[in-house]
Amino acid sequence: MKITVETHARTTLLTALGRLDFGAAAEFQKQLEQALAGAGTAPALLVVDCAALDYVSSAGLRAFLLAARSAQRAGIGFALCALRPAVREVFDLSGFSRIIAVHTDRATALAHAPQPDA
Amino acid sequence: MSASEIRLPEGALARDPEPRPPANADTATPASWPIRLSIRAALRARAEALLRPDRRFGRAFENLILALIVLSVASVIVEATPGLPAWTRPLFHIEELLVVAVFSAEYLLRVAAARRIRDFVFSFQGAVDLIAIAPFFLAGIDTRAVRALRLLRLLRVLKLQTRVLENTVAERTRELADRNASLARAHAQLNAELEVARALQVAILPASFPLKPGCDGAARMIPATTMGGDFYDFIELPDGRIGLVMADVSGKGVPAAFFMAVARTNLRDLAAHHSEPGACLAQTNEVLCAQNPMDLFVTVFYCVFDPVTGVLKYANGGHNPPYLRRADGSVESLRGTGGLVLGAMSGIEYPQHTVQLLPGDRLVLYTDGVTEAFNPADEAYGEERLIAEVKAHGDGAAAALVERICRSVTVFAGSAPQSDDITLTVLTWGARR
Repeated sequence: MKITVETHARTTLLTALGRLDFGAAAEFQKQLEQALAGAGTAPALLVVDCAALDYVSSAGLRAFLLAARSAQRAGIGFALCALRPAVREVFDLSGFSRIIAVHTDRATALAHAPQPDA
Repeated sequence: MSASEIRLPEGALARDPEPRPPANADTATPASWPIRLSIRAALRARAEALLRPDRRFGRAFENLILALIVLSVASVIVEATPGLPAWTRPLFHIEELLVVAVFSAEYLLRVAAARRIRDFVFSFQGAVDLIAIAPFFLAGIDTRAVRALRLLRLLRVLKLQTRVLENTVAERTRELADRNASLARAHAQLNAELEVARALQVAILPASFPLKPGCDGAARMIPATTMGGDFYDFIELPDGRIGLVMADVSGKGVPAAFFMAVARTNLRDLAAHHSEPGACLAQTNEVLCAQNPMDLFVTVFYCVFDPVTGVLKYANGGHNPPYLRRADGSVESLRGTGGLVLGAMSGIEYPQHTVQLLPGDRLVLYTDGVTEAFNPADEAYGEERLIAEVKAHGDGAAAALVERICRSVTVFAGSAPQSDDITLTVLTWGARR
């Protein structure tokens, strides 16, 4: 799988492309943690764009869960957006969409950024 | 009977791949070739044994050569200093004779030990060794007559370098071989232990369904090559009902196997004290969240079936919804709970649902190892194929359907490696057999 990271102001956007299976999960988890640590200046919001994500295994779900937890600890907003139907189903089936914010598209996800003073 | 008395039958020699030479093989007839070859082979073996650096002679010889190289190069330099007393000259002559004699002996030994003589003579080392003795044979002891030849003797330094290189390579090769061997041993041991763990994983699952009138149940787990964390369970509850579990731990390998054992034990213990599946999952989730150092989680479908009334109560912690095949051939999926996987977050509630089974209905529980079994073309087995199998088989023993689906999945996957556990449970109620 391929992962790209962009930073706009206090929002970090991570794009995941391909299959997030057991083999890819460790690297994905590392990237999420680095994005959350934000090289000194932690972002206010981390959005994972899943528009090009084909498949998520249980190991992939675990990476999302760990990221959601550390984001919560650090007071950083964490959200996913643009899930394909098959991936969306995995999130719904596992109950993960009940504990991680899932938005239909990128614009909606970015609009939900917490205000700096909030 | 002595050996000389054994008489070979006619034609036995003709079948001998290496015919023995006749007794009088003293002429250059083709029959003498094997003898010459065997002399050469014996010589080669002898020379090779003498040069072996791991034997005492080989090591001593090597040290002698190294000392002589240093001595000889030093003497070429000292000899060139002007104003040296005349009496020193015979010393240098003796020294040169000694060096050339030993180097020549070494050269001959190396030629003899070579697998193919030509390969040695034309190799870098062969050329260097020859250069080290050539000036003597070209000009005799007093190479002063030909200044260039005398300087050639300085090239003996090269001999030193090839030696050092050769020794370093030999040492590194030995180290690598040692390390590879210990790695291979560790790998074999690890594999053997994993094999035991896999066998244990299957062995702790119940082998048969509890005997209840009107119930026919069967299950099977085919472990993946890398250890997965699937499990199923049949739990006989104190009130006569049966608890059925189908679960899948996230991740693979030993952590997943451990978490599977912990999850299964806790669920089994708590099932006896919580008659409602939703409450049982909620409680199991609390216990798992409290003892989860690896941050794993497990998807669990848990249902409690009453074999007297046919009432099935279920709750789902993030697992693939099972299929209910009605006696009329229709297949429905037990959807709609959306509960979170267990072990991820505490304080979660698990909604509970109830469904009435009718005689002849079949319940099929499975893990994603079934629907996400991939074939060599990277296509998944998928839900449609599973539903088709379930739909097509309303009759027969539960075990037969389990086997049928397992075979269908393995035939579909073909030569593709099995990356996840494949687990299935079938329960048929009220079937008249």
